[in-house]
Amino acid sequence: MNKILVVDDDIDILGLVEIMLNSNHYDVKAISRWQEIDTSMHNFKPDLVLLDVSLGGADGREICKSIKAAKETENLPVILFSANPEMGKYIEECSAQSFIPKPFEIQYLLTTIKHFLN
Amino acid sequence: MQVFTSILVLVIMFLVFIITDVKAFRQRKVDNIKSIAQVIGTNSISAIQFQDEGAAMEMLDQLHNVSPEIIEATILNSKNEVFARYSPAGAPAVEVPSSMKDSSYLFKNNHLLVTYPIVASKEVIGKIFLVVELTELQQITYNKYRLAFLLLLVAVGFTFIVANFIQRYISKRLLLLVNTMKKVNKTGDYSTPLVDEGKDEIATLINVFNRLMAQIAENVKKKDEFIGIASHELKTPLTTVKGYIEMLKTMEDQPPKKQFVESAFKNVLKLEDLVKDLLDVSRIESGQLQLEMAKFDLSQLLDETVASAQMMSMNHTIVRKDEIREQIIYGDKKRIEQVLINLLSNAVKYSPGEQEVFVNMKKNEKEVTIQIRDFGIGIPVDEHPLIFDRFYRTKASSVHISGFGLGLYICRDIIERHRGKIWIESMTKGTVFNFSLLITNYAQQVDQ
Repeated sequence: MNKILVVDDDIDILGLVEIMLNSNHYDVKAISRWQEIDTSMHNFKPDLVLLDVSLGGADGREICKSIKAAKETENLPVILFSANPEMGKYIEECSAQSFIPKPFEIQYLLTTIKHFLN
Repeated sequence: MQVFTSILVLVIMFLVFIITDVKAFRQRKVDNIKSIAQVIGTNSISAIQFQDEGAAMEMLDQLHNVSPEIIEATILNSKNEVFARYSPAGAPAVEVPSSMKDSSYLFKNNHLLVTYPIVASKEVIGKIFLVVELTELQQITYNKYRLAFLLLLVAVGFTFIVANFIQRYISKRLLLLVNTMKKVNKTGDYSTPLVDEGKDEIATLINVFNRLMAQIAENVKKKDEFIGIASHELKTPLTTVKGYIEMLKTMEDQPPKKQFVESAFKNVLKLEDLVKDLLDVSRIESGQLQLEMAKFDLSQLLDETVASAQMMSMNHTIVRKDEIREQIIYGDKKRIEQVLINLLSNAVKYSPGEQEVFVNMKKNEKEVTIQIRDFGIGIPVDEHPLIFDRFYRTKASSVHISGFGLGLYICRDIIERHRGKIWIESMTKGTVFNFSLLITNYAQQVDQ
């Protein structure tokens, strides 16, 4: 079972994504506080990270850069998502695999995740 | 136009000068000739008395040396018969015009005619008639006109050069301003101000234009920021609603999951609130927000709003510290409720974790004050003057707080429409929001 770490400061979206991924047989860890990302990476060891860009006090793009900069996680697929479609421009800059604008289609999100896990 | 006016004034001035000058010259001439006539008259008295034509002719011949412009001189006796005539050019004799009286002068065909009586022992014994050629006067007049014309040409030329120079200087700057306006209109780039070192009205105009541009640039920036925030704030609850409804759709044959429906519903309410805030601001800006004034018990309203705010968060305890138990005021109950809900939900939102929120109502003889105190993250003092502004969201927040930054702006507008006050106090931990409303005598109600 693939493990996915979801980070979003909006609890409702977090709950939605968690339920959705659980029912599609993924092992999900959902966190709303960006401060917990480091511990989760270490303990949970996800196969993919779904990361919100605006995280109340932190920038998802910077977090993505630091994930890609760390040796043990440099090949870990990171998918950014945001309500601001402009953020799609930055995926190359922070080496993210993909960008999904909110509001998203569940099917599209699932297909994208599946693609980067294979 | 200005050049034309200057020319006209100059022409009139020159004409006046020349005319006065010519007139003065003529007067001098007349006086001069008259005195000559007087001298001839005095000297010819004896010649007439002794009928000595030779002596008279000899004296008249002297005129050639004295005043060569006199082309004819005649001495007439008392019977108006020619006694002696002098005519060096041999011109045909000019008759004394019948209209001329004694001792008068007449200008006729470029000639000056002067008569002067010869008086001896208080008796008129004859008269002098002189004809003077006025070519000199003509020459002088002509010269003056020519000089005036030349001066006029020089003045016009000079005026034209100066005006042209000034106009060029002005036009250059005005054209620059117009071109910048056109460019701004086309590109929408309001960030580069025009540079002008003048100190005149155009400099003022450019200065005002620059300030206008800066204002527009600021507004455009605010608008762009707002669109960014609005899209984020509206799309976030929309994502949840859409997601849960999509999930419910995929399991049509099963009973709906209560949690999905609740979550979707909660986020629909969030969206509704956001849209309401936007509509309120639009009403405030267009001056359409109207208060529906009535008497109501503020204390009772506070009970209701505190109860519903308590429902929003199970982690918070809202503690009443009221100093008074009942207060009838005159105002828009729904709008005051909106203010209370806004301040209470802010207090809950900005104090994450288990915290208390204190609510206090007190009054003096003039007004009733409600204080809402939280023990949360607080607001830096330098942000205090800004928090009631439109679209202002605290920069220091480390937790995600949703909203447009319109809530306090709307609250302030509502309270100020009630002629009340709203303000913030900083505490070592958390923040206190206060608002006060007048306890009006109902006769002199707040008129909207």
